[in-house]
Amino acid sequence: MRLGVVFVSLGLIFGGFFALMGGAYALGGVVEDFGRTHGVSGLASLTNILILMLMIVMVFATLLTLAERKWSAFMQDRVGPNRARFPGLPNASLAGIPHIVTDVFKMLTKEAFRPKNASKVLFALGPMLAFAPVFALFAVVPAGPTLKIFDHPVMMVSTNLDFGLLYLFAIASLAVYGTSLAGWASNNKFALLGGVRASSQMISYEVALGLSLVGMMIAFSTVKLAGPDGMSEMQMQYLWSTRVGSFDLGLPAWGIFIQPLGFLLFFAAAFAETKRAPFDSPEGESEIVGYFLEYSGMQFGMFMIAEFVEVVVLGGVIVAIFFGGWSLPFGNEWLMNLAVMKQYPILLGAIYGTVFWGKTLLLVYLQMVIRWTMPRFRYDQIQKLGWQILLPVGLANLFVSGALILWDPSLRALALFGFFVIGVFAFLTLTPPKQVRQEQEAADDHHGGHGHAAPAPHDDHAALPASTH
Amino acid sequence: MSSHSHHDPLEKRELVEADIRERTYVPEILKGIALTTKHFLRNLFGERDPNPDVVDRKGLATITTVNYPEEKVDYPPGYRGLHRLVPREDGKPRCVACYMCATICPAQCIYIEAGEYGGDDEHAESRVIEKYPKQFVIDELRCIVCGLCVDACPKDAIRMDTYTHVPSEYNRQGFVYDIPKLLKGPAVSHPSDPWYKRGSSAPPDHVHKEAHTRITAGGAALAKRPPLVEVVKFAKP
Amino acid sequence: MSDEKKIEAPKPAPPPGPPPPKNPGMVTLVIDGKEVVAKPGTNMIEAAKSVGVDIPYYCYHPRLSIAANCRMCMVESSAAPPGKLVPACQTGISEGAVIKTDTEKVRAQQKMVMEFLLLNHPVDCSICDQAGECKLQDYYMRYDFEPSRLEGAKVLRNKRKKLSDLVVLDQERCVLCTRCVRFMDEVAKAPQLGIFGRGSHEVVDISPAYGKLDSNYSGNIVDICPVGALLNTDFRFRARAWFLSAAPSVCTGCSRGCSIYADFMGQDTYRFRPRENEQINKSWMCDKGRLSYKGLNKHRVQQNGLGRGAEVKDVTPIEALRVAVEKLKAHSGKVAFMASPVASIEDLLAGLAFARDVLKVKSVYVSGRPQGEADNFLLTADKNPNRKGLEVIAKAYGLELKPFTELTRAIDTGTVKALFGLGHEVPEEDEVFAARAQKLELFVVSATNESKVVEAAHVVLAASVHVEDEGTFMQGDGIIQRFRRAYPPKGDSQPHWKWAVDLARQLGLEMKATSSREIFKQLAPQVPELATFEWDKKAPMNQKRPGISTMAASADGRPPGWREQGVPNLRGLSLPPGT
Repeated sequence: MRLGVVFVSLGLIFGGFFALMGGAYALGGVVEDFGRTHGVSGLASLTNILILMLMIVMVFATLLTLAERKWSAFMQDRVGPNRARFPGLPNASLAGIPHIVTDVFKMLTKEAFRPKNASKVLFALGPMLAFAPVFALFAVVPAGPTLKIFDHPVMMVSTNLDFGLLYLFAIASLAVYGTSLAGWASNNKFALLGGVRASSQMISYEVALGLSLVGMMIAFSTVKLAGPDGMSEMQMQYLWSTRVGSFDLGLPAWGIFIQPLGFLLFFAAAFAETKRAPFDSPEGESEIVGYFLEYSGMQFGMFMIAEFVEVVVLGGVIVAIFFGGWSLPFGNEWLMNLAVMKQYPILLGAIYGTVFWGKTLLLVYLQMVIRWTMPRFRYDQIQKLGWQILLPVGLANLFVSGALILWDPSLRALALFGFFVIGVFAFLTLTPPKQVRQEQEAADDHHGGHGHAAPAPHDDHAALPASTH
Repeated sequence: MSSHSHHDPLEKRELVEADIRERTYVPEILKGIALTTKHFLRNLFGERDPNPDVVDRKGLATITTVNYPEEKVDYPPGYRGLHRLVPREDGKPRCVACYMCATICPAQCIYIEAGEYGGDDEHAESRVIEKYPKQFVIDELRCIVCGLCVDACPKDAIRMDTYTHVPSEYNRQGFVYDIPKLLKGPAVSHPSDPWYKRGSSAPPDHVHKEAHTRITAGGAALAKRPPLVEVVKFAKP
Repeated sequence: MSDEKKIEAPKPAPPPGPPPPKNPGMVTLVIDGKEVVAKPGTNMIEAAKSVGVDIPYYCYHPRLSIAANCRMCMVESSAAPPGKLVPACQTGISEGAVIKTDTEKVRAQQKMVMEFLLLNHPVDCSICDQAGECKLQDYYMRYDFEPSRLEGAKVLRNKRKKLSDLVVLDQERCVLCTRCVRFMDEVAKAPQLGIFGRGSHEVVDISPAYGKLDSNYSGNIVDICPVGALLNTDFRFRARAWFLSAAPSVCTGCSRGCSIYADFMGQDTYRFRPRENEQINKSWMCDKGRLSYKGLNKHRVQQNGLGRGAEVKDVTPIEALRVAVEKLKAHSGKVAFMASPVASIEDLLAGLAFARDVLKVKSVYVSGRPQGEADNFLLTADKNPNRKGLEVIAKAYGLELKPFTELTRAIDTGTVKALFGLGHEVPEEDEVFAARAQKLELFVVSATNESKVVEAAHVVLAASVHVEDEGTFMQGDGIIQRFRRAYPPKGDSQPHWKWAVDLARQLGLEMKATSSREIFKQLAPQVPELATFEWDKKAPMNQKRPGISTMAASADGRPPGWREQGVPNLRGLSLPPGT
């Protein structure tokens, strides 16, 4: 019963992705066709903005407002919100999905309060400046292959810039204005402190953020994301491959394999950029509440939805840079060469689009689970992590990667190094820490040497891994 | 003792140098993620057992929530719940308006107005009962549920054995409980109740005889008395 | 014992003469190791009291004859036959006696007496109004504290015998101390009660020779009853004793001015109890005065009113003051002044000063309650507590006092067209005066209670009663008595003197008093009879209650604020005023 509900829901989600992406390609083709007949090309970008950003990203983010609460509840052995219901339905029906509607109504109907001495214009501008850049980030992320539909190539990206990654950096750094302006314009000490914390944190991590991607840039010799020569699509190529009949099998040159350190650094830095837990000291509820302290109603709602859009966009960006974008890990050639796919390119686009959003969903889950696993960093720890760990490690990664790429341009050496790194982390993860080992031995010694049958009860507590760190 | 000395928790408080696993964060984060994901998946796929005894729950899910209005935890014996005024056998409250509860109440949430049954009233009880509560009101919002009123009552007329707490209301007035709202539950009587001793507050016809028969082994009136020890448990709703 | 005899036997001692008194004219003895010097004829209880030794008793009352029937006050005395205890209430003191009140033997006696008294006592304290001020309760806790050993049932008697409309008797609770019987016999001079029956069926009842209890002093037997046997039907079941605070006050029922305690809770007085005053009322008061507290609670003027008849409306004190000032100005110089001797000395000091200096009157009409019946003990015919005070103040102020009949005549003839009344009481029928007052062009009255007279007024200024303020009365024999404030004025009312001060200020006379104390300090020196009265020092102690009450109250050591607001203020409960 429960299993069935879960699978039906998953099916609905992926079916929704499939349908939307298919629709996106179809609509793109129609519009492009219409545009070309009137002498304008690239009209499909408009429909891509419409469907990719307004429909998928926004709806995704909206659903996340509930999903975050529901998922965190499951992680913490709770039920989560389940009380909101549509009239006529029993209590706790629909598993709390109506909370999305009620939240929206609540946000929209609440008073938009402005403190007496707050700067009117900047106060109103704050949420917009926080929301717009994260939304604009998604413009360069490709959500599907470029396909010929109605005899016109349709790209599944809002705009294919030659400087895609640089655009990401540029726009991402704009978000700091929203937060610092909101903090300052609120005319509130705590909001200002939050804004200052946010801006210094975001500026600090921009260095590590940029540095972590340089490895990928030199590996693929491009800063472009979308298109056949873009980083996202180039990860489809195999490092090592074989064929089983017409089915191609192999290890693709995904960023996670050739740049695992770069991925970790980028992920951590991006977390800090989006100010999500464990890097959420600018908005720590228990200390200063943060730069949006004085915002209420839909103005606060803008900050909140911006955070969830950030989660989705960050997931998409990471998928595009490190997880091979919309491509499958293997069998891409086989799939593309299938007759039915050639006949119905929209079908192919829908499949790849679903793959892209599926990967994004996984990364969104990863971000959520990290938030509900890690305690918040202290502010000095944040700065120390950024400058003293991420930056040197990023530099080291850059030099090693650069050398390996120079030595072996096929990236295979880089991949072997990547596997080594992954292996080291796997080993460290699977073996217990030194302290635990020592205490285990001490307990064994003690048990054997003195013949006490029952070890003291607090041995168990002391033997716990240092999870408080 | 000395062999146990290193069990002293204070000695354990030396700063342990962090392991490489902890200093790189990543292995520890991965372990944490594995743990939270395990709970997530168990609770996602497992059906929550609605058993209100949380520790006895079975199944894959580890959720400990009790969905309150639909599911209720059984209160333990002796739970101090909503007050009730204990009725006599004839349905009237046992309360004699002695104000003991109002006196002891630290929240001053009990208001009583005493009335007197006239000696020649129609009521049957007026022949033996003189004082009764015209008004007995408890403001349940003020009540701090200390149970002192129950302890103070000399007539076992107020109890908190309803095994339910004050239900929610939409206005404050709803929390002001008067006699019709308070009077519920099974009737209680005690051998010492005056109506087992005499028919009215007037002296019995044969004072002399009456007194002496009582001092000897019981007499007819004693036979009507209920058993000495009586435990009346309120039926749980 | 035998050793002592052996030693004493060979001595041919002459009979020892009484030793010379240590203090000539007085008796010197030792009680519990403390030396006591007392007048001859004092009993042991009073002598012990003077050095702070409490001897328990039920039947003894200092103002009644000695019965010595409760046997609770038995003590060891060196003057008594060896091995015998003596009743401390009945035994006079003798020179050189050594009295011990706390020996093993005395304690055993007290315990036995308590056990006997409680043997057939119903112990229905939960419905007994005496609980909290009951000697049985107090002495049980102090001298007995043992469970009953009685097996079987107690003797049943009449639990609810109405002796009169005011007094109800519970024969089961009675300890047969006969205080009530002796009081009716000796003080009320109406021996309407007696003890009837024998043994365990002995009861207090109405004497068949009288057949009823109708004395005007029957309420006192409730006060002196040490247990809950005699209860006041008026107070019965209305409040528990420990909820009440006691304010030392004065009864305003007649010109006797008995000293009383006003027992109050919140802003309501629940009963009057006589307060000991050797000069005036000893320990007693009459039933009429006892019930006069009702006027303090019910039918009070709590809102200031304007207009008469159908136009009457409630207004704020400021608005009432404004209108009163406006109208008094319009009739400037033509306003007659009537003062009620029910008001206190402070009220009259300020009121008459206002009349003389602002209204410019030369004479004051005396209103007040009509004359009533008197008796040969406490009740007087003049029902106004402060007539004497009014007279001395008016005399000192140079105001002529005119009888009320002159006022009625003046109104009828039309010479008085505007009238200011301090107090609403009039010595004729309210309806008659109200009809007469219709002819007035202006009638301003500061009134405490609602009446037809108040309805006839153009401006009604709500005035507080005496227990709501500090003050003094001068009773019929010229004795000045201070009374204490029990609780703040009800509603929007304020004391008469405050109205007078407010009006005088608005009309241009600077009066600075902000309390009745200041009024007295400023104005009393003009009055020779009042000038020497020490207003502060003569204030009765607000700290303790007489008797052995364990009751805690703000006036009696109760923590302030505890139930001071009376019944708990429960939301939504609308209680009728004065209940």
